[in-house]
Amino acid sequence: MFKSVFGAAIALGLAATPALAEFPEKDIQGIIQWGAGGSTDTVARSVTPHAEEALGGKVILQNVTGGVGAIGLNQVERADADGYTVLFGAENPLLYKVMQLGQKDYSDFVPVNILARGVPILVARPDAPFDTFPEMIEYIKANPKTVKFGSTGPGGLPSVVSAMIQQKTPIEVTFVPYDGDGPALTALQGGAVDVMPAVLGAAIESIKGGKMKPIAIFDTEAAPQLPEVKTIVETNPEFADFLPWGPFFGVFVKKGTPDDVVAKLSEAYKTGAANEDFTKLIDGRGYKMLSLSGDDAQKFLTDWQSKTSWLVWDAGIAKKSPEEFGIPKP
Amino acid sequence: MHPSRNRRPGELVFNLILVGASLFLLYSAYGISGFEALSSPGAVPMLTTAVMVLAAGRILWEVLRKPVATDQSFIRDILPMPIVVTIAMVALYALALSRLGFIPTSVLFLIVMVRYLSRRGWGFCIGVAVGTVALIYLVFRLIFSVLMPQGIVPEGEILAWFSRLF
Amino acid sequence: MDILSNLLMPVTDLKLLGLIAVGTFAGIYVGAIPGLSVTMAVSILISFTFSWDVYPALALMIGIYMGGVYGGSRTAILLNIPGAPSAIATAMDGFPLAQQGRAGEAIGIVTVVSFIGGFIGILALALFAPSLSDFAIRFQPRDFMLLAIMGILLVGSLSGESLIKGVFSGALGIGIGAVGMDPLTVQDRFVFGFDELRGGVSFIAVMIGMFGVAEALSQLHSVNTPAVKQRITRIIPAWSMVRKHLPLGMQTSTIGTVVGALPGTGGDIAALMAYDYAKRTTRNPETPFGKGAVEGLVAPETANNAAVGGAFIPMMTLGIPGDAVTAIMIGALFIHGLNPGPMLMVEQPHMFWFIVGSLMLANCFMLIFGLTGIKLFVKIVELPRTVLIPVILILSIVGAYAVNNNVTDVYWMLGFGVFGYFMKEYGYPLGPVILGVILSRLLDDNWRRAIISEQESLGGLMRGIVTSPLSLCLFLAVLLIILSNTPVWRYVRRNKAA
Repeated sequence: MFKSVFGAAIALGLAATPALAEFPEKDIQGIIQWGAGGSTDTVARSVTPHAEEALGGKVILQNVTGGVGAIGLNQVERADADGYTVLFGAENPLLYKVMQLGQKDYSDFVPVNILARGVPILVARPDAPFDTFPEMIEYIKANPKTVKFGSTGPGGLPSVVSAMIQQKTPIEVTFVPYDGDGPALTALQGGAVDVMPAVLGAAIESIKGGKMKPIAIFDTEAAPQLPEVKTIVETNPEFADFLPWGPFFGVFVKKGTPDDVVAKLSEAYKTGAANEDFTKLIDGRGYKMLSLSGDDAQKFLTDWQSKTSWLVWDAGIAKKSPEEFGIPKP
Repeated sequence: MHPSRNRRPGELVFNLILVGASLFLLYSAYGISGFEALSSPGAVPMLTTAVMVLAAGRILWEVLRKPVATDQSFIRDILPMPIVVTIAMVALYALALSRLGFIPTSVLFLIVMVRYLSRRGWGFCIGVAVGTVALIYLVFRLIFSVLMPQGIVPEGEILAWFSRLF
Repeated sequence: MDILSNLLMPVTDLKLLGLIAVGTFAGIYVGAIPGLSVTMAVSILISFTFSWDVYPALALMIGIYMGGVYGGSRTAILLNIPGAPSAIATAMDGFPLAQQGRAGEAIGIVTVVSFIGGFIGILALALFAPSLSDFAIRFQPRDFMLLAIMGILLVGSLSGESLIKGVFSGALGIGIGAVGMDPLTVQDRFVFGFDELRGGVSFIAVMIGMFGVAEALSQLHSVNTPAVKQRITRIIPAWSMVRKHLPLGMQTSTIGTVVGALPGTGGDIAALMAYDYAKRTTRNPETPFGKGAVEGLVAPETANNAAVGGAFIPMMTLGIPGDAVTAIMIGALFIHGLNPGPMLMVEQPHMFWFIVGSLMLANCFMLIFGLTGIKLFVKIVELPRTVLIPVILILSIVGAYAVNNNVTDVYWMLGFGVFGYFMKEYGYPLGPVILGVILSRLLDDNWRRAIISEQESLGGLMRGIVTSPLSLCLFLAVLLIILSNTPVWRYVRRNKAA
């Protein structure tokens, strides 16, 4: 009561000044689901200054980490649906329900912009005794359980790519878990793991420097950054069922946010994402630009969730069937 | 530090609580994954809580053998009034923070605490409180962009209004 | 010549020079205030310097980093509240000196040895970066596990009067570190059905609670006794004093550089290990450890500043962060259109030399700013406690909140503050709790990785340790530390001395 009276009084006083007009009237709080220095963080921090220009307001970015991103997501979900709290998230929330990591996912949010998608790549340590995907499978079959795959816990990119491999070409390997693709790729260079499914951007520089060996790109077309690396469908066309697939980054607000506010934010981030500096960064890090908003973004999310949820459920990594949450089969 | 030859007031109860809590945590650690595998997520927690139980038990045994200190009292030596008041004030602060907002809560907290501890004049207390909060606000909010809970003072709007003036 | 011009670039460009100075100065305060961390400051600077050129942006960040690592020692010495985890060990001998009225002297020593440590770290970066990073990257999970065990054994040095209480505290710390969802298996540990616990207990909240709040509470016992008058006789330590401790400082700087260069370990672990090393190797300190031994200041402060140069080693040569701050700097390089990785040194060697030059310069500014204004700083201790304690409490609260913008962390801080207060009253050391929290993940994750890599076979793990020279060395070091704590060892040593 006190709060509203007091707030109203001051707001009235401020409203009397002509400068105050429309959204955003104050600084926007931007919550980044993942830690500082990670890829979600880098993408969020590099697109936002361009979006701010278009928006005419400030977005204060903070990292709220933990619980595979669920802590940050829940914090935005608890805030008012007024557009002053924005979530910078990755793909993980779409698997929260089937992995039993949280009750909320992007169905409680409205996408402002799905910025970009990553491309998975399978890399090996440079002295691994195989160079291509079929050679790798053959080697693993000859030496069951001795090849060490880096992983980042159930639900992460490596587990999904491994699930794809298990479905098409079942193999016996040992999974060594790390808490992120950065540490796992470091371990790969030190020889602690042999093979690692990672996002192209995280591996690109090390591949160029000869510290890692690319085995296959998990996409339907070759990556312009590494044109000589074969895609998985060139050697094993059966993988086309799952592809293209990849982790993504997006900007979200809570469901129930006024349409004009969502529209304003979407417009701003669309403009921000089109900025040349940002597209160059996305390109250099090996991502694919999407910049989807509105129905396109919603459709992208729905498709991604249905495809991936069923994949991890069939692979036995998920705790609950996607059916329970009404996620349709692809 | 304090001499530990004698058993201090409350020491026995504190150690009993530690033993109890350690046992509970050991049980909870067992619940994570049991004796499933050496690499299970519960392996290290079980080991550490087991160490806690053993250590706490050993400490309890030592405490029991110590003679009770007769020259100390719990109220006077362990938990005197200023400490109780301070703990209560910090707890109140945490409760009020999200409702009242950072600025009023902190000013109130400092006024009450400085007044209670120093018994100096109100002017001094208010001066210290407002000065400190202004400085913290400057450093944390304006320089480091840490958004403190806003509460009843719409500082976000006020700031935006100010920045629009220039 | 090209190298030299890049190395000197920050000195010759007035703008860069100014930015490094400002950064270092600000960093000292960021480091000194518990709850304002270098990590936080640097990630804010990414947005702040977004539209700048890459050189000035890096110059400012490097200044903050260097100053911040040093600044943590200020509050540790003056108030017994470490401004950053890497200054925990510094408080153990620094605060007793302040209580004897020798705070100015302690800060003077710390400043000079921090400079020396920083210098050695940077030198290692400039001269041996490629070979050191090759070495660091070879650490296998079992080696990190052994390193963590070595760290856990420091409990012995941090325990004070009762070892068994130290063991309890250390185990408690490891337990606290395990709270939340296990990132390797997404399984909940010690969550008890609370969603807030899923993300784990913030390590900074525990530290601020145990050192800030618990310390403030126990100082309330003597709230009305006047503060110790500080005698400021000399600030810059005598050369003979510096020379006496130089050998120890060199050794602990080496520890700092190596631990800093390892991916996943940083200045906090380096400082604690160095403290332990000093305690083991110093035969006859003038003042006993824990009562104001100079060695207890020299070791951690050389090590944590050396770790700065160390952390840049894998970053510059491989694009792998050596600690949390360099992880953010890698992000910053990306944003500024550079591609940190193994090719950076090949394609853009000037960047490397620019960073080395900036670090050097920041290190010099740290020395200058560190030695000036000490008199004013020391006055903090002479403030009446009735005002100081409430201000410390509010800073602790804001600091705990700012870590993750979460009120839950404030509750944790308060809970651990009260609990820590009782632990102090009943003679439990608090250092081992923080040690446990710092090492928890390192130990747990790497133990599991190591044993998974050997298909759950303990024999396989032992075979791996014995056949790898690096693992064997670490294993022997662990054995040696354990042995040196047993009566047999003391007996042998006494006979030798006789």
